[in-house]
Amino acid sequence: MVTDSRDPSARGAARRLNAPRPALVEQRFDGTPRVVNRELVTLVREEWRVVDRWWTDEPVDRRYFEVVLESGRNVCVYHDQELGSWFSQNA
Amino acid sequence: MIACLLIPGFELRAALRARPRLALVPAALAAEAGEEPLLGPVTAAAEVSGVKPGMRLGEALATCPSLVLVERDPAAVEGEWEEVLRRLEDAGFAVQPLEHGVVVFETRGVERLYGGVQPALERALAAVGSAWDPRIGAAARRFTALAAASVARPGQILIVAEKEEESFLQPLPLSLLPLTAARYAELEGLGLRRIGELAQLPRGAVAERLGIDGRKAWRLAHGGRKARVRGRRPAVELAEVLAFPEAVGNELTLRRALGSLLERLLARPERAGRPFRKLALAARLVDGGSWRRVATLRDATAELGRLRASLGPKLAELPAPIVELRLEAVELAEHTGQQLALVEPAGEEATARLREGLRQVRASTGTGSVCTVVEVAPWSRIPETRALVVPRDV
Repeated sequence: MVTDSRDPSARGAARRLNAPRPALVEQRFDGTPRVVNRELVTLVREEWRVVDRWWTDEPVDRRYFEVVLESGRNVCVYHDQELGSWFSQNA
Repeated sequence: MIACLLIPGFELRAALRARPRLALVPAALAAEAGEEPLLGPVTAAAEVSGVKPGMRLGEALATCPSLVLVERDPAAVEGEWEEVLRRLEDAGFAVQPLEHGVVVFETRGVERLYGGVQPALERALAAVGSAWDPRIGAAARRFTALAAASVARPGQILIVAEKEEESFLQPLPLSLLPLTAARYAELEGLGLRRIGELAQLPRGAVAERLGIDGRKAWRLAHGGRKARVRGRRPAVELAEVLAFPEAVGNELTLRRALGSLLERLLARPERAGRPFRKLALAARLVDGGSWRRVATLRDATAELGRLRASLGPKLAELPAPIVELRLEAVELAEHTGQQLALVEPAGEEATARLREGLRQVRASTGTGSVCTVVEVAPWSRIPETRALVVPRDV
């Protein structure tokens, strides 16, 4: 795998694979995504929760959605309940 | 006629050459470090005290508290054995060494030279020297010659005529046959003690009960096959030694010394361009003992880097600082060139191209630009903790 050599943080240090990226999401009243990165969601295929590390200083509480966008792309996004922000990630 | 020259307890005798006084007291060869504590060969004085080879160390010390344990000296054993073989070869015998202390040879080629079988074998005994207490057995078959040597007294020559071979073998103990301890126990359980008793059994029944080992033992009990002796090719002394002014235990110094020895050995004209197949690294330890390791190379080579890579790790096994390092070429390959493959194995070219491509990427973008994925917690529910991207050197 070839990394982006322009990124100084990529040199010489190990980093996480599949790190979450911030996503622009508009949600409905029930918390499900309506628009992801300015594309309308046509279908919510699946929804699940990951609650882990609640005994540490960095607890994980995420609500994942696998959605199909208007363009036909499959995208996985989650709402971080701790931070109150949306991220996209390949789950 | 095939002759077998036997020197019982050769490893102990060789180790005692530097300490002859110990030969007169109860002494035994210690087990190798890390092995089961069983005694090796013992001196005559130890045998008189009730100590036997193969005895457990604790039992032996309880039997004879004054027993002296002699440390193994593999370099001395190798050197002395080579000396014995050379003396036999100088006397005209084409020898085939079986193990340390056991060598077989044909007398046919030298019978005319010495005036018969008996004078030829006397010459062989004289060549080895009485200090080793050698004994010789001779017969038409190799196993019978070995058995005759095993029962002969020191300095005795025991010749068994072809017609008398079976009757000679019959009263001898089964322990002369090359069988495992479990097989001996099985045979003893069946009431068999002598080679003749095994020889009298039907061949098929022995094979059915004891398998391949039993069939081989049964054949040997009848004298064995008439196999020819393949005399070894007299080895050319090809060795380099480096003596240190004081004891050295530093790995860096040892590796440099090895590199220097390799360069000197590669420059020897006797090699005639032939690559090494087998090398031995030996050292004289600071406390007087010795150490020796043999490395057989997968492909014969004369490349300094590869030789260094295969012999270098052996230096880490040295048990103590050393005062002398010796490198011997045990076996050279016959060829002088390297046969290349006509068709490269599948995938070889693609792998080479990929490696070259990655090397170029790394060269142009710098360290850390080529990475590999390492799974660290594939079971994790949090996707980003399952694997890491780690920079790698191409």
